[in-house]
Amino acid sequence: MKKIRNWILIFAGCFAAQAVSAQVRPPLSVDINYSIAQPLGSLKDYTDKTSFRGWSAGLQYMLNDQWSVGLRSGFQDFYQKLPRAVYPDKQGDVSAVQSRTLQVIPIQATVSYAFTKPGSAIIPYATVGVGTANMNYEKYWGEFVEKNNSWQFLVSPEIGINVPFGKASPVMFNANVRYNYAPYKYADITNFNTVQGNIGVKFHLN
Amino acid sequence: MKRTLFLFSAAAAVVAMVSFSSCRKDPLKDMTNEESRIYITNHDSTANFTSYSTFSIVDSVAVLTLASDSAKKALTDYDKKLIASVTAAMQQRGYTLVNKAAKPDLAVNLTRIDNSYTNISWNPGWWGGGGYWDPGYWGYPGGGWYWPSYYTVYRVNEKQVAIDLFDLKNPKGDKLTAVWNALWRGSGVWTTGNVDSMVQASFAQSAYLSKK
Repeated sequence: MKKIRNWILIFAGCFAAQAVSAQVRPPLSVDINYSIAQPLGSLKDYTDKTSFRGWSAGLQYMLNDQWSVGLRSGFQDFYQKLPRAVYPDKQGDVSAVQSRTLQVIPIQATVSYAFTKPGSAIIPYATVGVGTANMNYEKYWGEFVEKNNSWQFLVSPEIGINVPFGKASPVMFNANVRYNYAPYKYADITNFNTVQGNIGVKFHLN
Repeated sequence: MKRTLFLFSAAAAVVAMVSFSSCRKDPLKDMTNEESRIYITNHDSTANFTSYSTFSIVDSVAVLTLASDSAKKALTDYDKKLIASVTAAMQQRGYTLVNKAAKPDLAVNLTRIDNSYTNISWNPGWWGGGGYWDPGYWGYPGGGWYWPSYYTVYRVNEKQVAIDLFDLKNPKGDKLTAVWNALWRGSGVWTTGNVDSMVQASFAQSAYLSKK
């Protein structure tokens, strides 16, 4: 709770100078979303199963009716178990059931633009998130794990809609589609590409 | 419409909250003993496996523990099963079993490794097995084992089983060259009932190991 208050203070401090026009909602909002992500590209070769284990949460501050800035984090767990197969290696051949996993924790700064006025029944918007992501790579060979943990640059353009529960309601339904890219290279992975669908809620705080 | 959206987003928020608590799927909880095992095989790429005709196999299994460096020999039901199963697999590949006094071309060593498990991260190719058998058994008293450089001999820390094939036909001085090795790791590698499938898997992934 204290942390949230600190953030509010930081945001308030940053934008105190901003002339805020007559607003429909308080400028600060919190959003929380459930996330589903599909790997693409070389990540798909490593694990091609859609991940239903994810979430995304963030804070946003409206600079004016159109522009907002924010900060967000989240989590996504990729997992795929492959049937027993023989993997040739320069040291020999290894027969194993591979469980390929990757856990991603992004931390990003965001800039958003709303295409309609805050009073609209549906508010479409576009966001770009830029920041870092913790990539936790764990490939199990049977019960033996090969691990690697690193931080990577992550950029995530997103489009979505906010639907207020009534005109000027501080609570909105949120749905968006986000593309994530990180120049992540490890073993079979030559870059990190996912398409992520999120649905959740956004609350404007007084 | 509003109501549907509200229910929809409330459901999403609940699912997101649940995801907070049960973040990731644990691979170890989604794994049978069979799936936990890995079978690693390696061979001398310069060896000509059709040039060998006969083999002999040890009459018991060396058991290596971390506590004592000297391997003791054992002949439990598991060991009998292991000897029989490896013998059958070798015969299937066209090699003839002979007594070790009859100068076989290949020697088969069997070793069980029993070290207490310590958590190690593993890279494919880390290698176990080795000269736990005294080369004197094969008629080379005071001799040694020769592992070509691409075998990485690694000291291991769990229950494992190793099958090592040595070339008795072309000894390098008093050293015998390892031409094939299989190493089993994981849960249940010391279980008698698993021996046949583990032997079959090891030979299946080593098609070059054949007289034919």
